[in-house]
Amino acid sequence: MTKFRENNHLVGYLFTAPFIIGFLIFTMFPMLASLYYSFTDYNLFEAPNWVGFDNYKTMFSGDDQYWKSVRVTFTYVLASVPLRLAFALAVAMLLNKAIGGIGLYRSAYYLPSLIGGSVAVSIMWTQVFGDKGLLNSFLGLLGIHTTTSWIGSPGTAIWTLIALSVWQFGSSMLIFLAGLKSIPASLHEAANVDGAGAGRRFFKITLPMLSPIILFNLIMQTISAFMTFTPAYVISRGEGGPLDSTLLYSLYLYKRAFQFTQMGYASAMAWVMLLTVGVIALILFQTSKYWVHYESKGES
Amino acid sequence: MAVPAKALLASGPASTKRTASSAKKWKPYAFHLVIGLLALVMIYPILWMISSSLKPNGEIFSQAYNLIPSRLAWENYRSGWAGFAGNTFTTFFKNSLIIVVISTIGAVASSAVVAYGFARIPFAGKGFWFGCMMMTMMLPHDVTMIPQYVMFSKIGWLSSFKPIIVPQFFAIPFFVFLIMQFIRTIPHDLDEAAKMDGCSKYGIFFRIVLPLIVPSLVTAAIFSFYWRWDDFINPLLYLNNPKLYPVSLALKLFLDGDSINNWGGMFAMATLSLVPIFAIFFIFQRYIVEGISTSGLK
Amino acid sequence: MKKITTTLVAASLMIGLAACGSGNNGGNASNAAASGSAGSTGSAGSSASATAKTDDKPVTVRVAWWGGQSRHDYTLKVIDMYEKLHPNVTIEPEYAAFDDYWKKLAPQAAANQLPDVIQMDISYLNQYAGRNQLADLTPYTESGKLDVSSVAEPTLAGGKIDGKLYAMNAGSNALTMMVDPAMLKSLGIEEPAADKGWTWDEFAALGDKAKAEGKLLFSDLRHDVFFPFYLRGQGQLMYAADGTKLGYDDDKFFIDYYTKYREWYNKGYTMSLDKLSQSKGTPEEDLVALGTALSSNQWSNQFIGISTAAKRELDLLPVPGWDSNKALFLKPSMYFTVANSSKVKDAAIDFINYFINDVEANKVILGERGVPVSSKVQEAIRPNLTPEQTKVFDYVAWAEKNSSEMNPPNPVGAVEVDALLKAEVEKILYKQVTVEKGAAEFREKANAILAKNK
Repeated sequence: MTKFRENNHLVGYLFTAPFIIGFLIFTMFPMLASLYYSFTDYNLFEAPNWVGFDNYKTMFSGDDQYWKSVRVTFTYVLASVPLRLAFALAVAMLLNKAIGGIGLYRSAYYLPSLIGGSVAVSIMWTQVFGDKGLLNSFLGLLGIHTTTSWIGSPGTAIWTLIALSVWQFGSSMLIFLAGLKSIPASLHEAANVDGAGAGRRFFKITLPMLSPIILFNLIMQTISAFMTFTPAYVISRGEGGPLDSTLLYSLYLYKRAFQFTQMGYASAMAWVMLLTVGVIALILFQTSKYWVHYESKGES
Repeated sequence: MAVPAKALLASGPASTKRTASSAKKWKPYAFHLVIGLLALVMIYPILWMISSSLKPNGEIFSQAYNLIPSRLAWENYRSGWAGFAGNTFTTFFKNSLIIVVISTIGAVASSAVVAYGFARIPFAGKGFWFGCMMMTMMLPHDVTMIPQYVMFSKIGWLSSFKPIIVPQFFAIPFFVFLIMQFIRTIPHDLDEAAKMDGCSKYGIFFRIVLPLIVPSLVTAAIFSFYWRWDDFINPLLYLNNPKLYPVSLALKLFLDGDSINNWGGMFAMATLSLVPIFAIFFIFQRYIVEGISTSGLK
Repeated sequence: MKKITTTLVAASLMIGLAACGSGNNGGNASNAAASGSAGSTGSAGSSASATAKTDDKPVTVRVAWWGGQSRHDYTLKVIDMYEKLHPNVTIEPEYAAFDDYWKKLAPQAAANQLPDVIQMDISYLNQYAGRNQLADLTPYTESGKLDVSSVAEPTLAGGKIDGKLYAMNAGSNALTMMVDPAMLKSLGIEEPAADKGWTWDEFAALGDKAKAEGKLLFSDLRHDVFFPFYLRGQGQLMYAADGTKLGYDDDKFFIDYYTKYREWYNKGYTMSLDKLSQSKGTPEEDLVALGTALSSNQWSNQFIGISTAAKRELDLLPVPGWDSNKALFLKPSMYFTVANSSKVKDAAIDFINYFINDVEANKVILGERGVPVSSKVQEAIRPNLTPEQTKVFDYVAWAEKNSSEMNPPNPVGAVEVDALLKAEVEKILYKQVTVEKGAAEFREKANAILAKNK
């Protein structure tokens, strides 16, 4: 047995080899290249020139649009992640049953996540939030008559994106479902025998047992919310309007990189993003010690 | 640990095992009503898309709020399937399937192995490599795209499926982290017990862990299938020859601001392109929730 | 214990194999690419090596363009026709939608892998030509390999930068006002003469009448098109000749134009911004096609799409302001360019030449990329045109006689300036800034962007 312990390093590297090799071959070089570009004026066509911290300085002191995009992005992340997770967990709990037709329900709730960011979504979102959209018709029934377009007004446009993100909660729901099914049913049975109510069972068994999955969803959804691009792109025709109110960070980065061909500046933006999201993820990991319950404490 | 599926079923609150009070009687109906209504809201847009795929071309915008077409324009499916000058959607679907199936197998298999390494084996430098892995998910793809493209161009992989498929065999960080979290919900006693029986790390992985994490593997497979199916940016960059285009990219060739567009054909093909990913989900979601994991360990 | 050992061996073998497999994969794959097998039929590399100047040696030419389904279809037909005439030439088409097209070209430029023939847009021309990505076509026009004998000089000028022809005009466009005669009649509005049109003031005077019937004057006027057009009418330029600053110093022009624009906007003659941002900009959503606005002010090649979507007879009128200082001009709707890195420039030029000058090819193209630049082709294909296409050809022919040469292509950074202008005008229309303040802000920021070209 002691022999295994000694060989753990080798075994560990053997198991993780696919990632490490792939990282070294496919990912590391492009990442380092982008880090280098962030200190240059690279424009995609000509050899980059070293400009030191100029890109970073411009970003922090001379670019109003940059700060606007930061604000928009934080609003988006702070609103969409909790809403989406809460919704996903609630629906997952509801659908974690064995009754007739449950598979169809699950599929119905997952379907919106399958149509992704296609043109169909952007047209359809106009159907809902446009000036003659469903929402306004519905408000009309309630006696509130309005013809503003929720998508087109600076104050509300970002909320239509948040709604879109919450509507596409299927992937988080799926992961929660898989997590719920991994909880040994014996635990619930034991609690049932003890006479614990549904609420108690949820807080004493489901939540702790699900906490590693909650952590996963929280971290991944936060990262992906910061990187959100497609919905803003298809809904605002790639412009981030009106009045930059849907100018998510990734959208602005894309504009800089490919529309204005300022790859150096875009790279600097990307690395600031990496640092920010990295710090947030690290904080989430640190706090997880206090609320995430692992069955396997020993070796992790 | 081996809990029969029946026990799982019985543990749900919808169980009718206990004597039903009157409140319990209407409860299932209320459940169906609420969940069903909400489901309608969720799928309304898909219904809209399907109905648009059957509307005569002019109606898609003029009758946008009407779910029922004035007549069923099946010709949209014919004109859409015809694709672009000889390259029909038969070609595009075939390409998509090749890319997606191979990628998914590679991504799930490699990610499971790596996840076990990170979740269960202590080794020097683990934290560092895990950090590297998380970092790759936090850097926007836009800025690594160009150097990556130059790299693939230098090794002569352009205009083939290789730049799209091969990297999938080197573990996908999202799946690694996902599967890791599932492995970590498995009680450690199991490993210990197996170790006592003389199982090696490999043995533990293949015989104990793998059967238990099937729900997460299926989840990863569903995601991978959908993501690869939906991905158009890599095919756009790396495939020059339209004969190699997958469905995701072909769908984007329909529309153009300058000319009159075949909206009907576009929606028809967009609808068809949902079929495989929906089928995969519908078939595999059972394995997530029916607790396959329990049958692996006897 | 024995069983466990075998499991262990098997497992480690599997892992080992997996590692070997993935390692080999990379090796095999690159070998395969090198030997040209495995599905990569005539990759970029092999086409480059197969370059030959003689006519009968096989040549592969990569041709790239953007567009929608109809353009892809007929362009591929033209390519087929060309390949039949030149059995030694293989054309590899690469096509995408407009936005995707540029995303695809950028890494190709960075990796020195640009297609041989590149369809080019005016807003990107300077980015590519100014940074040495495009070949100078002048030697080919001089040698006659690119035949421009029936192309008027001003028509060619739109592809010239510093006197060198980097881009071949693929078809001409002119600004126009599209109207629905039946709608005008029903509103009791008299349609002006086809060679006069309205002035902006005359047209704006119809605003209240239109509004009473629930119609708009127009949805909007694209800022990056119509503000420079207004400046032309005032004898000003949007960009200075050397591209390092704006072409005007006095904010008066900006203030005059946008004060008027804001007035129309505030009166509700134009589409409100929130509704405008819902539109995807396709012909099907055009307000004249939908019958909710009096006019649509566009490039003339949009007419086919819009009148097809409208399913009614529409008319083309001269765009207001056309006669002020001969502001009207012909603009290439798009160009064909040849990559500087191309190893098959002769073959690439020959294909462009075919596209521009061949009558049979143009009977298939039918002016979809703008009115043909060759006068011979124009005349030859007239009998094949639909009534709508004839209207466009007639209007562009009229415009050619009543216009002056277009401004030089926009400098590097113009894409950013265009975006800035749009944002600044939005701020004005949302009443966040005054026109005066917006004018000053725009000038300062735009000059700062353009100053990088020094």
